[in-house]
Amino acid sequence: MTAVRAPRLPEGAIRARAREGVAAIFPAVGEYGQALFGAAPIIGPVPDELDRARIVPPVFVPGRLERMFELGREPLYGDVDLTCRIGGFTAPLPIFLCAFGSTQAAAGSGLGLAAAEQAGRLGIPMVIGENVVPMHGYGRSDEAPADGMLERIRAYAAAAPDGLGGVVVQQSTEDADAEVWNLVYSDPVATELIEEGRLAFELKVGQGAKPGLGGMTVLSRERAAAVCDRYSVDEAFGRGSVRVLRSGSPGTFTEEILRRQIHLMRNNYPRARTWVKLHPGRDVGQAAELAWSAGADAVTVDGAEGGTGWAPSVFLDQVGLPLAECLRRIGAHDAALLASGRIWEGGRALKCLALGATAAGLGRAALLAVDEDGAEGLVRLVRCLELELRLLLSALGRYRVGEVGPDDLWLPDGSASPAFEEAWR
Amino acid sequence: MTQTTLGETVPAAKLPPGTREHLTSPVTQAALRIQNAVTTAAREHLGMNGFIELTPPVIGPVTDPGVRGAKQLDVDYYGHRYKLMTSVILYKQASLLAFEKIFYVAPNVRMEPLETATTGRHLVEFTQIDVEVRDARREDILGLLQGLIRHIVVHVLQESKADLAALGRDPDAFGPLLSEDFERMTHAEAVGRLRDLLHGQSSDAEIDWQGEKLISEQTDRPFFIVDYPKGSRGFTDGESAAQPGILRNFDLIAPGGFGELCSGGERTHEYRRLIERMRESGENPAKYAWYLALAKEGLPASAGFGLGLERLTRYLAGLDAIWQANAYPKLPGIASP
Repeated sequence: MTAVRAPRLPEGAIRARAREGVAAIFPAVGEYGQALFGAAPIIGPVPDELDRARIVPPVFVPGRLERMFELGREPLYGDVDLTCRIGGFTAPLPIFLCAFGSTQAAAGSGLGLAAAEQAGRLGIPMVIGENVVPMHGYGRSDEAPADGMLERIRAYAAAAPDGLGGVVVQQSTEDADAEVWNLVYSDPVATELIEEGRLAFELKVGQGAKPGLGGMTVLSRERAAAVCDRYSVDEAFGRGSVRVLRSGSPGTFTEEILRRQIHLMRNNYPRARTWVKLHPGRDVGQAAELAWSAGADAVTVDGAEGGTGWAPSVFLDQVGLPLAECLRRIGAHDAALLASGRIWEGGRALKCLALGATAAGLGRAALLAVDEDGAEGLVRLVRCLELELRLLLSALGRYRVGEVGPDDLWLPDGSASPAFEEAWR
Repeated sequence: MTQTTLGETVPAAKLPPGTREHLTSPVTQAALRIQNAVTTAAREHLGMNGFIELTPPVIGPVTDPGVRGAKQLDVDYYGHRYKLMTSVILYKQASLLAFEKIFYVAPNVRMEPLETATTGRHLVEFTQIDVEVRDARREDILGLLQGLIRHIVVHVLQESKADLAALGRDPDAFGPLLSEDFERMTHAEAVGRLRDLLHGQSSDAEIDWQGEKLISEQTDRPFFIVDYPKGSRGFTDGESAAQPGILRNFDLIAPGGFGELCSGGERTHEYRRLIERMRESGENPAKYAWYLALAKEGLPASAGFGLGLERLTRYLAGLDAIWQANAYPKLPGIASP
């Protein structure tokens, strides 16, 4: 375990799952038969709309009857089929590993590599974040950082079951200078993934933690000196500090720029899938629609609750749309929409699916899990989530992932639910 | 020759032999003599038409932004990260500040994707006859290129009779090229023809390699594909003012399955348009500082092309693979001298 912390997440509960596996999704088994349980008041940070939404199984379940016809017996939660397509890949459940960028918590600590190996073993798609190459190197022999891009791809590919999952390589404006996609696309390490259709490139338009800003990390003065030709370096912590702030540009997008960048990706990398990551901007619905119409295989939207990255407090607290509002603004669609933002357990993941997401991404929770246990932490966390999804879907009378919808949620303030329904009409 | 990655996927017959065997092969020697006739004829034709030949820059702070997934090669230049030229396009535009019509016989290095090792048409290190004309329109350049190709073919048919015969290349194959104008079709028309041939070509992208071969097999003389969609090419290809989203560019495709020989068109040269187009290709304009500084003060409007020397040689000589037209061929993914 390192010093990774996630004060805005229920860190203790996540670490317990990473340690104990599916047992941790239940109350302590030793209490069984003695303690009386009920709903707990919500504790921790102010709950957002997704937290407040409740999953509401119906009394009448025609979907269960349909499943019973198939099975010839009463269906159980084990009969839920979680396999799905995520942005052109096949996955065993609607979960993917979000990008960890060059943030120190992920790179340089070995956590990025541990997460890659476990995500591979699980067969869930993995996104490798922006700025990894310019900051940590690519990983060819002369530089060979232990946690570089190449090592993460290798670890994932070696562990992944046949036909499942895929690797998604992000590129930001600074990465374009390092030609990250060109590097990967012409690297023998990626050949097999390309041939199996298990490589995607993700255009990073923005991120949840700091909508409208580029990548931001804190560096020592020596590290900063090495990259100051590519990034802005700021004395944010005073001239006496040994640390400085490194900022990347957010990149300038107009509708035409986004459309053409997507066209160029498809043109230049015809054998890789094309993903686009959006920040929770007020025009997120318009941007998602444009990305799909330009040919993106998936659009990832990172709610303002999301982000592993370091960000100014004002951005964490006051900037960007919450994930639920992003999903509402995107509305009904028949393309792949991937959602991330403070997801660590099955309930929030299911709510995202109910509001139109194809899959949900694990970011900080995955980092905490591999920090808790570098060999099995993420696997256990995902197994918990998998069981919860099975339990929840079967309770709703849904036996396939795509069947869940806004009817399966209730929002307590009354205003949100009809609005969702409106968006879905 | 060390084969690093492709041994299991590329049949040995498609790979170049060792250096000695390659250099002493009568096929290599005939191909290189034909190539020599090509450069002689090109210099002669361009010189007669008022072009100045410049020596090409080999390294620079930036180069032509790679398209179709080709990686650039970095060079440590006194602590600055420089690039080997993937093409001299930026320098061609700048050189028009000095002369009205210029050309280079320029080496290019592009780390092409591994999948291109078997196309028979890709080399990592290759040469282009790079031509640029101030204030020219695309139509001027198409006429110039057709004239240049014909001059080269006439010269080669005269000077390389024995080599063509030794390679089994029938001179009559060039009859239509010499007697009829090269056909022009738009990208949209080419996409339509390919779809008629049951090839699933995207209307937003470059004609893919299989498509290019297929369409090239349907004709008896070279032809132009014009009007590529924006998003299929780099920022230097000029966009039509009358038809936004359509580029004022072209490819020249050889018949008989030999595929693309040449790309060119009118250039983006206005400062604001360059910045927008750089962003549309995902770039940070900062790295093009020297070029943008020139553009801010004014770069001339121009059009031009880059004609692949080895590809043209392969077509004229009727070779199976492009590496046969290079003395020291470097195929994608294969370490070789």
